Amino acid sequence: MTRVLPYCALWFKLLLLGFAINALLCSAAMAQEIRVQGGNPILTITAGVPGGQPIAVTNSTTSIRYRRQTGLTTKITVQTVCPGQKFNLQVVAINVTAGTPAPAVTLTTGMLATNLITNIPPRPPTNESCTLVYTASSTFAQGNSVELGDDVHTVVYTLIAQ
Amino acid sequence: MKLLVFISFIAFITLTSPDEVSAQIAMDNHTVTVSVSEITLLQVSSGSVNLTITGANAVAGVDMMSTTDQSSSLSWGTNGSLKKITVQSNLAAPLFTLKVLALNPTQGLASPEVTLSSAWQDFLLNIGRTSGSCTLRYTGIAYASQGMGTDTHSITFTIQTQ
Repeated sequence: MTRVLPYCALWFKLLLLGFAINALLCSAAMAQEIRVQGGNPILTITAGVPGGQPIAVTNSTTSIRYRRQTGLTTKITVQTVCPGQKFNLQVVAINVTAGTPAPAVTLTTGMLATNLITNIPPRPPTNESCTLVYTASSTFAQGNSVELGDDVHTVVYTLIAQ
Repeated sequence: MKLLVFISFIAFITLTSPDEVSAQIAMDNHTVTVSVSEITLLQVSSGSVNLTITGANAVAGVDMMSTTDQSSSLSWGTNGSLKKITVQSNLAAPLFTLKVLALNPTQGLASPEVTLSSAWQDFLLNIGRTSGSCTLRYTGIAYASQGMGTDTHSITFTIQTQ
C-alpha cells in the first residue's frame, strides 16, 4: 500500500496538469473554430427617393473564417441583440467555400438562432471562409438617428453540429 | 507503474483533445451599427409651367380674368418629425396674382390656396416622417385694368420644422 500511494499522488498531479493543458488547448481551439474578421462595420443611410423611401446601403467588408469538424457535419447560425431596434438589417453569406448559404436573414433583436450556412461537410480540408454582406434599410416613417439614435447590433455567429 | 501513470496521462490528453470537443458549440460576434441620417427630399415634376390669360378667359363686363394649370406635381420624403412644406416666389412685386394649392396630397394637410409672394408661406402641414406627393394647382389672375405683361416666377418649395 505504501508503495502505491506515491504513484497515486503522481497520477493525481498529472491529472490536474492534464486538465490544465486540456483547458488551454480546448480554449484555443474553440476560439479558432469560428472567427469574425474585419471589425465592426457601420452602415449609414444618407439618401432617398422623393415619393419613395430611403435608399438601402450594403457592407461587405467583414467575413467569417470557420473550420470543418472531424466526422461531423456542421452549420453556422446567426442571431442578434439590439435593444430598441428601429431600423432594418439583413445579412447573407456569399463566397462560401464550404457549406450551403441560406437566403438572406433578417436580423431582429431577440431572434432565435437562424441558419446562415448549412451542410458544412467534415474535414479535411479544414479552414473555410465566407463574406458577410449586410444590408441596412429604413422607411421614412421609421425616422432617423439624429432624433432616435443609432441601432447597435451585437451579431453572434455560432458553429454547431447539424 | 510509472509507465502506467504516464500512459494514462497521455491517453487522457489525447482522448480529450480539441478534435473531440470541436463538435461542441463555438461562437464569435461583432458589432454592426445602423445609422440613418436626417433625410428631407423634394422634387417638382416639371421644370416650367406656363399660364396664359387670353381673351378666351375673359367674360364681358367682368374685370377679373383667370386661368389654371394642374400639369405639375410635387413629391417629397422626410424622416424627420414635425415637418411642413413651405413655398415662396422670387418676385417681390409681380404684376399679376399667382396662387398655388396642394391638390390631393397623399400625406399631410393642405393649406388654403396660397397667394405667392417673396415671403415663405405654409403649403402643406403635418408631413413628418412620410413620403408622398400632391398635384400643384396654379391659378393666374389678372384684371383687365392691369393691362398686359408677363411675370416669370421662380418658385421654391422647402421642408421645414413645423
